[in-house]
Amino acid sequence: MIPLTHFLVVGACLFAIGLYAVLARRNAILVLVGIELMINAAILNLVAFGRYDKTMYGGQVFALFAIVLAAAAVAVALAIILNVYKFYRSVNPEDIKNLKD
Amino acid sequence: MPTTALTYPLLAALSAVLLPFIGFLLSAALGKHARNGAISISAISLSLLAACYAFAQVWNQAPVHIQWHWFTIGEQAFHVGLLLDNMAVLMLVLVCVIALPVHIYSAAYMKGDPGIHRYWTYLSLFCFAMLGLVVADNLLLMYICWELVGFASYLLIGFWFTRDSAVQANKKAFIVNRIGDIGFLIGIGIVYSHLGTLDTGTLISTPETLPAPWLTVAGLAFFLGAMAKSAQFPLHVWLPDAMEGPTSVSSLIHAATMVAAGVFLLARLFPVFNETVLLVIATTGAVTAFVAAYFALTQYDIKKILAFSTISQLGFMMVGIGIGMYPVALFHLVTHAFFKCLLFLCAGAIIHEMQHVKETHALDIDPQDIRNMGGLRKHMPLTFATMLIASLALAGFPFTGGYLSKDALLVHTFEWAALQSGAAKLIPYVLVIVSMLTSFYILRLLANVFFGSLSNPLAKNKTHIHEAPMTMLIPMLFLAACSLFPLFSVNPLNDGHVWLMQGLTTTVSTLPPLPLLHLVIPLLTTGATCMVAILAWHWYVNGKYPLKTNGLLYRLSQHQGYLDVLYNVAIVRPIFRLSHLLLWVDYHVVDGTVNGLAALGRSLAATAAWIDQRLVDGLVRLVGKIAWGLGHIFRRLQTGGVQRYFATLFLVILVILLYHIVVLL
Repeated sequence: MIPLTHFLVVGACLFAIGLYAVLARRNAILVLVGIELMINAAILNLVAFGRYDKTMYGGQVFALFAIVLAAAAVAVALAIILNVYKFYRSVNPEDIKNLKD
Repeated sequence: MPTTALTYPLLAALSAVLLPFIGFLLSAALGKHARNGAISISAISLSLLAACYAFAQVWNQAPVHIQWHWFTIGEQAFHVGLLLDNMAVLMLVLVCVIALPVHIYSAAYMKGDPGIHRYWTYLSLFCFAMLGLVVADNLLLMYICWELVGFASYLLIGFWFTRDSAVQANKKAFIVNRIGDIGFLIGIGIVYSHLGTLDTGTLISTPETLPAPWLTVAGLAFFLGAMAKSAQFPLHVWLPDAMEGPTSVSSLIHAATMVAAGVFLLARLFPVFNETVLLVIATTGAVTAFVAAYFALTQYDIKKILAFSTISQLGFMMVGIGIGMYPVALFHLVTHAFFKCLLFLCAGAIIHEMQHVKETHALDIDPQDIRNMGGLRKHMPLTFATMLIASLALAGFPFTGGYLSKDALLVHTFEWAALQSGAAKLIPYVLVIVSMLTSFYILRLLANVFFGSLSNPLAKNKTHIHEAPMTMLIPMLFLAACSLFPLFSVNPLNDGHVWLMQGLTTTVSTLPPLPLLHLVIPLLTTGATCMVAILAWHWYVNGKYPLKTNGLLYRLSQHQGYLDVLYNVAIVRPIFRLSHLLLWVDYHVVDGTVNGLAALGRSLAATAAWIDQRLVDGLVRLVGKIAWGLGHIFRRLQTGGVQRYFATLFLVILVILLYHIVVLL
């Protein structure tokens, strides 16, 4: 049996990769991909911890909810990116600075 | 006993007093619309008629006294009233009879003066005040009239108020009179505190109610009042300067109003004065008579000579009071009123003519300087004749009123001196010398003005000098007639027959008579007058003037004893210095304190403002600045870059986590 630590390490690696993508990429879509990676890291953790709840399968259920929500969120986010692109003719987060002071 | 029923004599006296007052009010109300003086002249004429009626009813009859309740202070009721006795009605008539010719004369003399309406107003006020003074039965009422007389004379002396000298003169007259008024007021205060009433009747019937020392003090106080009003040495200085007024005013001041008030006051209050006070009065009178006659000797201003002669004659009257023979003093007051008024009116006519000549020929001469006159006898014969009569009356020449009164005075003074001891015995001799000096200075005046030839500036310009107009001559002729003996006595040489003194003497204890004097004194004075006249003729008409004009005695006389200089140095200048000192104190100490307090307040306020702006506001601003600075720092975080926000978020969470890890584990 694969010990829990391995899951957590993989999850952490995924989260770190996702975080890097979110912070460093120059393309909003890839930032979105990074977010997905981070969500998936969290889901992986949920599933991994779910082994301790064999009667209710709370972890798996929560994971399913999270996947659905992530999908919905991606749809919304893609729509926002599309609109941003229409407005700015760019999807580079560096170019979008209207929230600046 | 005082009554409240208004009988005819009282009504007449009251209207005599009030008519000039009505004239005053009307003239004042009409102002420039009443320039011809008709109101004042008719008022004084009616006054004269009323006064004559009152005189006829009261003279040698029982005195009439009316009293009304005036006002009440606390429980003390004050009464006001008229007291008509021989003295009062005599003065009443005298004032009117002198004032009327002066009024008529003024109509011609003041003609064309731009301020003539003021002149009539003041003149009526002057007459009202003097008439009120003589009939008042009450010291307070007398004092009010006394002040009014002083005030009216102040207005009239300064009538030509655009001249600086007139303003100085009326100020001087007023201030010197204030000194006397203080004396009068002190006297009133003393009488009131001891008697509890100001009624003159009560005072003169029971003067012994006052303790003896207070009686002396009160007497001296009243005499101080009379000294200033009647121009006694050393308070006489205002009278020569008062010549700045119109000459007609001078004649009124010198004859019946103003200076007569002092003598009248002393005569009215005669029983109040005890031996000491009477001696002081007699001495002052003798000194005044001598000093003023001495000053008159060398004056060149025609009016100044007459002014000093008035002072000198007032000195005679004071001696008359001082020797206890106030009827004689009043008799001399009456005769003097006529001839002195006449002298001034003549002088006025001459000055009027000189002024006229000066203006027509544009001469640079003083119209009052006797050196510029001379030989006027041929040009102004009637003026000369009247002035000669007045001068002879002044010199005490037989057949004039002045002879009767002056000889009566001299004889009584000798009689009085016979009872005295010590220096008082000298007084009659002083008076004899003074009457010789009087003859000399008045004949010097006559010789300079009327005899000899016309003075240089007048002769060179071929001036034509003519007689005064009729409106001026008639009053002069009338007064000249009054200056002669028939008005006073049927016997021109014996003063024992004077009806006026017989009317007044009844209440006075007479002095032991020395019959020989009645023969010697008139002979002596008349002889001296003649001698002096010859001397003056020789000196001035023949031009054989023997004296050096720079001798000490001459200069002392000409500069009026340097009294003005002395007063200036001793009184006026120290007062000026004191007021300068007080001004300095006011400016530097009083104002300095106030200014210092203000400066202190200002600097306190400035400190408070500084604290407010720097500390309180500074604190508030510091808080704002801190908030601003913090904001300035933190706004840098808001870059607008989403990824930066994420990075920050992540870091913060990381820090929190690390904190938890470090602290909690």
